[in-house]
Amino acid sequence: MRAYHFSTFIVLTVAGFAFLITLYCTAFLRDKDYANRFYAYLLISLALVNGALLADNLVLLLFFWEGLLITLFAMIAQGNKGAFKTATKAFIIVGIADLCMMLGIALTGHLAGTLAISSISLKTGSLASVAFILLMIGAIAKGGAMPFHSWIPDAAIDAPLPFMGLFPAALEKLLGIYFLTRISLDMFQLNAHSRLSVLLMAIGGITIILAVMMALVQKDYKKLLSYHAISQVGYMVLGIGTAVPAGIVGGLFHMLNNALYKSCLFLTGGAVENKTGTTKLEDLGGLGRKMPVTFGCFIITALAISGVPPFNGFFSKELVYAGALERGLIFYLMALAGSFFTAASFLKLGHAAFLGKLNPKNKDVKEVAIVMLMPMVIIACVCVLFGVYNYFPINKLIQPVLGQARMEGHNFGGFHTDMKLTIITVLVLLAAFLNHLFGVRRKGSGLKALDHIRYSPVLGHVYDKAEKRLFDPYEWGVRFFTVLAVFLSAIDRMVDWVYDVFSVKLAYSASGLLQRMRGTSYVVYIAWSLVGMLFIFCIAMAKG
Amino acid sequence: MQPLLILIPFITILLLNILRPEIARRAAFRVALVISVLQMIAVFFLHRSFATMYSGPLLSVLQFNITTDYLSALMLFSIALILFVALIVAGQVIKGRQELFNFVNLSLIALAGMNGTVMSHDIFSLYVFIEVTSVTSFIMIVFNQNIRAFEGAFKYIMLSALATIFMLTAIALVVILTGDTDFTVIKAALSGPVNSGILKSAIVIFLSGFFIKAGLIPFHGWLPDAYVSAPSPVSVLLAGIITKTVGVYTLIRVVTGVFGFSPVINNTLLFIGAFSVVLAAIAALNQRDFKRMLAYSSISQVGYIILGVGAGTPLGIAGAAFHLFNHAIFKSLLFVNSSAVEEQTGSRSMDNLYGIAQKMPLTATTSVVASLSAAGVPPLAGFWSKIMIIVALWMSGHYGFCLVAIFTGILTLAYFLSLQRNIFSGKLPDSLKNIKEVGFVFAIPEVLLAAIIIGCGIFYPWILKSLILPLGAALGG
Repeated sequence: MRAYHFSTFIVLTVAGFAFLITLYCTAFLRDKDYANRFYAYLLISLALVNGALLADNLVLLLFFWEGLLITLFAMIAQGNKGAFKTATKAFIIVGIADLCMMLGIALTGHLAGTLAISSISLKTGSLASVAFILLMIGAIAKGGAMPFHSWIPDAAIDAPLPFMGLFPAALEKLLGIYFLTRISLDMFQLNAHSRLSVLLMAIGGITIILAVMMALVQKDYKKLLSYHAISQVGYMVLGIGTAVPAGIVGGLFHMLNNALYKSCLFLTGGAVENKTGTTKLEDLGGLGRKMPVTFGCFIITALAISGVPPFNGFFSKELVYAGALERGLIFYLMALAGSFFTAASFLKLGHAAFLGKLNPKNKDVKEVAIVMLMPMVIIACVCVLFGVYNYFPINKLIQPVLGQARMEGHNFGGFHTDMKLTIITVLVLLAAFLNHLFGVRRKGSGLKALDHIRYSPVLGHVYDKAEKRLFDPYEWGVRFFTVLAVFLSAIDRMVDWVYDVFSVKLAYSASGLLQRMRGTSYVVYIAWSLVGMLFIFCIAMAKG
Repeated sequence: MQPLLILIPFITILLLNILRPEIARRAAFRVALVISVLQMIAVFFLHRSFATMYSGPLLSVLQFNITTDYLSALMLFSIALILFVALIVAGQVIKGRQELFNFVNLSLIALAGMNGTVMSHDIFSLYVFIEVTSVTSFIMIVFNQNIRAFEGAFKYIMLSALATIFMLTAIALVVILTGDTDFTVIKAALSGPVNSGILKSAIVIFLSGFFIKAGLIPFHGWLPDAYVSAPSPVSVLLAGIITKTVGVYTLIRVVTGVFGFSPVINNTLLFIGAFSVVLAAIAALNQRDFKRMLAYSSISQVGYIILGVGAGTPLGIAGAAFHLFNHAIFKSLLFVNSSAVEEQTGSRSMDNLYGIAQKMPLTATTSVVASLSAAGVPPLAGFWSKIMIIVALWMSGHYGFCLVAIFTGILTLAYFLSLQRNIFSGKLPDSLKNIKEVGFVFAIPEVLLAAIIIGCGIFYPWILKSLILPLGAALGG
């Protein structure tokens, strides 16, 4: 175990989230029969997360890490009817990634000659790269980056909402990105010239774009958020992958920010679900007047996630942009496009859920209980605080993680960002807003504001396929293994047949044959005996 | 000391038949039991003093030398034990007093014959005692005087006659070569220059005789018929010890004591052993009669013993001797069980018997123990002897035979499991609703033998160190 600056600050954050979410749960889970179990799993998970964060031994870390897999499964399985299937899916996906990580740990231990994280320092060579990639798979899968993401949208529908607010939105991101940072910064000396860095950035960029594109077209509050939860990981992975100070600081800051606003957004989703009983956007609308505080929190956090100045998301994204631009224009453009679509989808979400016509069914909706509001308000305030006063998180929490040497004399606190980048960002956000207005004018409702993208010539086709889950690696795996299972079971049948039918028949027919050959008369017996003696003679003479 | 083991049974028979019939008939059964128990005790406590050679004319006509070593001691103990068991079964199964008296007389002759076989130290007296034992067993098979028994006994006599011819021929050849019948003299003479053609012929013919007596494939034709048609106590005696003494023990003794190991002998033993192990196990699979399946199983297990001897190493001989002992125990137990089942239900056929474990739990349990021991399931005694044989085969480089021995274990388990499942498990039919567990007396041999199987399995290290390994070392060189 080792508590040092980085892990303690994340442990602290985790504790804060756990407290707020638990507070929220006291109201949200009041009537649920799985409440007690949920709290138990939550506490166990918390212990495991802390253990994983504080572990200074890779095997110990793996122990806690894998333990989380079990509570993950258990917590998802608490949800509605489909939850068990989703839990299995999550279990398998994360389990496979953890298996990779286990291999990575074995390889790292072999290469470094030690399993103590603080004393491992490997140069990226061919074998070390493999180890790094294996560990990275474990880390980003925990974070939920593509292609290990596909359980999250399903879980958003099936799993209990506080779980979504706490785990995929906050804790797992913290844990995954924490470990990614550890392996890239401490254990492997990842530098800006290595291919691994490019690989990480590519994963980040692709995750940003693809996940946000999926988020655009979702018609469910929670599911839309879950795709953002994936997309935002892309920024972090991209930021850390840049391996330049601005990017890393941005990525880590983004990790913190994302945990804040994403969990808050999930909580607003929970508030809506709690009161209206649904999260389907077509049944919602006009809730802003009924639930003003929730709406307020939503606005703040939505602005933050879209990267509107001066909220916290703006600063972290700017840093990631700066880092990405330093490494290559393409990554910057990817990130920027992600920003555009993020803004667009939140405009749609806000419009569809809180503005527009009130659904008659929701006439009697009231604001949620104070214990549910408190966490949301607190988190929203922190979002604003971390934006306006970003000196504290950046200078006090994140920059020390990198250390003076790596910072190369930079200081990213305050409003230090490049004006050009800021202007471009603002322009992109404006474009998103205009796009929204354009969509609303065409279709006449917030929900369908993005239909022109959804049903555009090429993308529409891709979306159709995506909605049929044609792009889900898990589904490929399931299909492959179904075929494999049929094939193997046919082989199994054959082997069974050999054992159960063929060998028995053979044995019995051989047995019958022997019976007949033995005969019943002593003459035959004597004949056989003489044959036997002749046989022995043959042996004796041949070998002699 | 040792000649007493032969003399006491003979004198007892004489006394029993000279005394007034009423007293003799009443006492005979108990006397026989006491003699068998005494022999067990004597062997158990005095086996160290046995391990010296006794020489001195007992019957000057036969030029009678006696040897007792660990192997003989083991055999003497087994003989007494199985005789004891057979006598108890006979006391339960044979109803008439005169018949029981006859059986006791015959069994005492068999005892004397077997003891003599085990202790004789020259090939001619060996032959004489084999004949004594065999002739007694012919008569015992037809004890109930039914037609099938006559048929079985007749086949046995015919094949035994063939074996007799073989043995006498071989003895003649050996005498031609060496001029003597004493083991040590022959062995010394054979190590000098001899006509190898005649020697090989003598070996082959001698071995063929033993193979017939032991009932190995393809010399086994008589064996299933004889075992099945004999009355239960005779089956116990015959399968448990008589064929093992006159066929298998003599083979081990003659091979190790007279001819010594040579490629000819080893290969012959390995081939015949492997044939018997596999083919008898396959033949056993298809049997529907309790005793007939046991008969085939006997052939298969004797095959294992022969394989162990064929390995030609001290470990192999030790394993073979131990398996010989184990086989005597578990096969006798199974025959006791079969006679218990037959006694209580009136049938031995798997087509009529189902689920009698509910009614006869003790018989069923001991039967399972014996079957598992036969199939070589740890930690029962049979496992240890089989593993010794298998290891010996592997270490002596006979990998193919080793694999045969291992895979036949599956077949062994298969036929024993099908036996247990058919007879003891399943649903009890209405026709068997009224059967009862065997009485106390019948339970004695069942429990005793099962306890020996389990005990030998658990205390195997002790037995191995104090008995089996010295035995192998003494014979293997």
